[in-house]
Amino acid sequence: MKLITSTLSCSRQGFVKTVKTGLLATVLAFSGVQAYALSELNVAQGSDPQNLDPIDTFRLSWGSIGSNIFEGLIQRGEDLQLVPGLATAWEFLDDNSRIRFTLREGVSFHNGEPFNAAAVKYTFDRLLGEQGQKGPQRSNYTSIGSVEVIDDYTVEFHMNQVDPVLITKLAGYGAMIVPPKYIEEVGEEAFDRKPVGTGPYQVVSYEPSVELKLARFEGYWNGTAKTELVNIRFISEPATRMAELMSGGVDISLNVPNTSVETLKKNKSVDLVTVGGPTVNMMRFKANSGITADARVREAMNIAIDRDAILNALLGGLGESIATAQGELSFGNDASIKKYPYDPARAKALLKEAGVAPGTDITLDIYNSDETFREISQVVSSYLGMVGLNLKIRANETNIMASDLIPNGKTGELFQFGWGGWTFDFDNTAYLLYHSGERFNPYINDAKLDELLEQQRATYDRDVREQALQQVAGYIREQSLELPLFNLATMYGVSKKVSGFVPAPDDRVRYMNVVVAE
Amino acid sequence: MTAQTEIRTTPAWFSNAMARCRNLEFVVGITLTLLLVGLVLLAPVFFPDGGESINLMARLAAPFAEPGHPLGTDALGRDILARIATGGKVSFVVGVYSSLGAVVLGTILGLYAGYYRGVLDTIVMRFADIQLAFPFILFAMTVIAIYGPSLERIIIVMIVTQWVQYARIVRGSVLALRERTFILAAKSYGQSSAKIIFSHILPNAMGPLIILLTLNIANNILLESSLTFLGLGVDPQTPSWGGMLAEGRNYVQTAWWITLFPGLAIMLTVLGLNLLGDWLRDQLGKSVQ
Amino acid sequence: MQQLTFLSQRLLQAVFVTLAVTLFVAFAIRFTGDPAVMMTQESSNVTEADLAMIRESLGLNAPFHVQYLQFMGQLLTGELGNSFFRGPIKELIGSALPSTLLLAATSMVLSILISIPLGIVAAVKQGKWVDQLIRILSLTGLSFPNFWLAMMLVLIFSITFNVLPVSGFSGVASLVLPSATVAIVLTAVNVRLVRTAMLDVLSEQYIMVARAKGVKEFWVIYKHALRNSAIALITFFGLQFGNLIGGIVVVERVFNWPGMGSLALDAIAQRDYPLLQASVCILAMLIVIVNLVTDMAYSLIDPRIRVKS
Repeated sequence: MKLITSTLSCSRQGFVKTVKTGLLATVLAFSGVQAYALSELNVAQGSDPQNLDPIDTFRLSWGSIGSNIFEGLIQRGEDLQLVPGLATAWEFLDDNSRIRFTLREGVSFHNGEPFNAAAVKYTFDRLLGEQGQKGPQRSNYTSIGSVEVIDDYTVEFHMNQVDPVLITKLAGYGAMIVPPKYIEEVGEEAFDRKPVGTGPYQVVSYEPSVELKLARFEGYWNGTAKTELVNIRFISEPATRMAELMSGGVDISLNVPNTSVETLKKNKSVDLVTVGGPTVNMMRFKANSGITADARVREAMNIAIDRDAILNALLGGLGESIATAQGELSFGNDASIKKYPYDPARAKALLKEAGVAPGTDITLDIYNSDETFREISQVVSSYLGMVGLNLKIRANETNIMASDLIPNGKTGELFQFGWGGWTFDFDNTAYLLYHSGERFNPYINDAKLDELLEQQRATYDRDVREQALQQVAGYIREQSLELPLFNLATMYGVSKKVSGFVPAPDDRVRYMNVVVAE
Repeated sequence: MTAQTEIRTTPAWFSNAMARCRNLEFVVGITLTLLLVGLVLLAPVFFPDGGESINLMARLAAPFAEPGHPLGTDALGRDILARIATGGKVSFVVGVYSSLGAVVLGTILGLYAGYYRGVLDTIVMRFADIQLAFPFILFAMTVIAIYGPSLERIIIVMIVTQWVQYARIVRGSVLALRERTFILAAKSYGQSSAKIIFSHILPNAMGPLIILLTLNIANNILLESSLTFLGLGVDPQTPSWGGMLAEGRNYVQTAWWITLFPGLAIMLTVLGLNLLGDWLRDQLGKSVQ
Repeated sequence: MQQLTFLSQRLLQAVFVTLAVTLFVAFAIRFTGDPAVMMTQESSNVTEADLAMIRESLGLNAPFHVQYLQFMGQLLTGELGNSFFRGPIKELIGSALPSTLLLAATSMVLSILISIPLGIVAAVKQGKWVDQLIRILSLTGLSFPNFWLAMMLVLIFSITFNVLPVSGFSGVASLVLPSATVAIVLTAVNVRLVRTAMLDVLSEQYIMVARAKGVKEFWVIYKHALRNSAIALITFFGLQFGNLIGGIVVVERVFNWPGMGSLALDAIAQRDYPLLQASVCILAMLIVIVNLVTDMAYSLIDPRIRVKS
């Protein structure tokens, strides 16, 4: 615990503000107000969502903040189970064309505004309307036609189409319930910087790219947060983040780079806390042209790489090698699909069979910001070299990769792809990667895949969906349409002084029960 | 002994000592430079694999901990010594080509601008102003964001941003010299402008230019590492000193040797170049005027 | 009157430079990349239509000259408009600029305070052990990349001894490591420049005359030599400012210093056009102003350099 004066002390406005706070502290001391100790938690995360409005952002960095400020109708905890949130119950009506939600009573927003049906309707009208069009969230919720208020604590969603993942999506991101009066009063711009929700913490101050200060919301309906203040600092340089953690500057660090695993494991004051995450790392093929149009070549590359050796050596064993683009937690995962074996001899034979001459040049495009993958790709290059393929690595800027090389099909024979669908539903990954015409799928155009993917989107029947998704995964594996690598653990660096921290697989950390010992 | 005699009337013992000192400077400078250039040139002979052999079983080995790795190995188990020898090529190529390009361009433009003044001077100086007002890193990032990273682009970006400093220095000394007696005298004897520029003005600007050039080569070796640090460097497979420092930064606390030895290689190169530069400056200084 | 014309001429040039730099950046950054893609990077269901909608709302569908003129209009009225991702640019720059200036000024002052006496001592004791020592120290300072130096300082002072903060900006203590990093590299350059400039002047005729007249060595150095080498030094220090800002960009990143460099680098990575234009424009103006002041001082000290009337 620290004295309140120290938490206030000099900020970035420099001397002026320092002097002011100094004065404030003096005034407080003389006026007989007891300067009391506030419990405080300092957190570092790699990036700043830059806009705290739930409908304006779609970043994991928002998730690790927003989950403390906002709540949705549905809640999903660290165990990934869907439980009632601001809605206490829901039922599907009229052949699934309507969903009726019963809302929780006695909940209020941080500004005192009551939570009710009007707030829910406002939230979704805003998301699906003009304001939502400016942001990236709307497209995830277009299956909702409209929201009807039945009474103060009952609403109905009128669906445009079947959306099997909707209930999960209501637990996250764009579906967070926002306060109508507050937004009307302060305006959209102010809401981006200082939003109000119903969650256990409220925003005190927000300096983009620098720091976000949260304070406990005393009127929270579901208990009280154990720590009074949470300061979330944005530190983009991984080595700096780790240095802060090890020097005690922060108590918890998100986004621990794999390259720091060894350092953290050796450190006596910090724990490395891991949990299975949604992120899959893979390489994808330019599957419609060049030597990679041949399924034998693709298979050869797949079996030329010893995934477990890379995982254990470079990634501290913190993850699993995978057979398809999903982890064990994913809905649609088929445990019976075999992982690619490491078989360089067979790889050579396959390449020979396909008529690929030894020493053939191929190119891999990677993201230049990903240091871990930079190392992985060099090892992959060495493995491919052993079977006679000469892999050149091109490191590209994130934006160029995502806006040009991939959507326009300008990549090399191989390109890096990392995906962390927070819904843990394979649809989220598979539709995007394999359905023809999708932006991130420049090379695969397969009628069978299209059919399976569309089929599972048209039903709420979990068994039908699971089967279709598993078939998709099986087909991809059979054709070797991609080169899956790992499902990496989500890692947190946590000071030994911290207790009550539960690692969130989806990066949506909740600080409510975290306590920092003195 | 007064300062005056120290500088102007040098007793025999003093000039001998000075000469020895200067020679030492030259000897150390040339030794370091030749040693490192030699190491880099001979790298393909000693390390035919180019420091690219990966050995995951021997990763992060401390110096002398594994046979055949006197300076240890990096995160992928590659030999640090081999990578330093091979990686020096990128550093030298970037450092030397970019600096030479900049000095040639900058000197020519600076001489003309300073000597003839007029429109050319205005254009050159405005162009120089623009570049001076645009921090190198931002310019490099913008250009490389657009075209993607490559060795040639890094060199070009450096030349485009660095000729200015040479031009300003050359122009400055031209401006300072053109009103001086010996130039005016040369003019009055009817010497041609070219002759005045090359036999009187350029030699006088040489000292600062050479100092700047040596600093510049060293500086560009460092800039290359900064660019790599920001993810804008040469491709990941080509070893470079800067790249090695950048890659090793996440291991500083557990494997210091990954960053220490390339750092030393850079330091010794820079030291060698600067000693040579200083020595050269003294040699040239004698012939001036 | 002459000074006034000179000043107005230079001011015109400053405006021109700022215009040219922003025009280049605004034009170049639009070549590749797409802010709408950055915005939706982690979203799965985004279609081309959604992206088009976002682009429209960001005003990206207007022709380049319209976008640029709009930006210039905002600039002239002092309203810098909104960033694509993070609210009013005025506020962002209002908090980033003082941080950068503070870091730049501290490092520069620190460096000048150290390098002038060291450079003078080295020049006066030319060839002696003091000179050698200073030269070796300055060469060593020049030999390390600044980000490496930064990490070493953090390793020693923050992690091993835990006496200084690792990053961020929370008071004077957090200013120490970043400004030391910038100042060490800067000083290494400056010491050499001071030494060279002093040596040049010390061998001049009038210094010998002064000495012959029996002027005390202290006054020879401080009144005659330093004043006469000031012209070169001011140019060098002025020229350093652009490099200084460039160096600060990298150092800011290592120390997570909330300054202009971080702002601009983020803006490039995210294709936040308005923010990039504004921050580069402000940085350019800053450097132009420093250069302008340098030139003014230059012409005040040495009347020979004044513009031809």
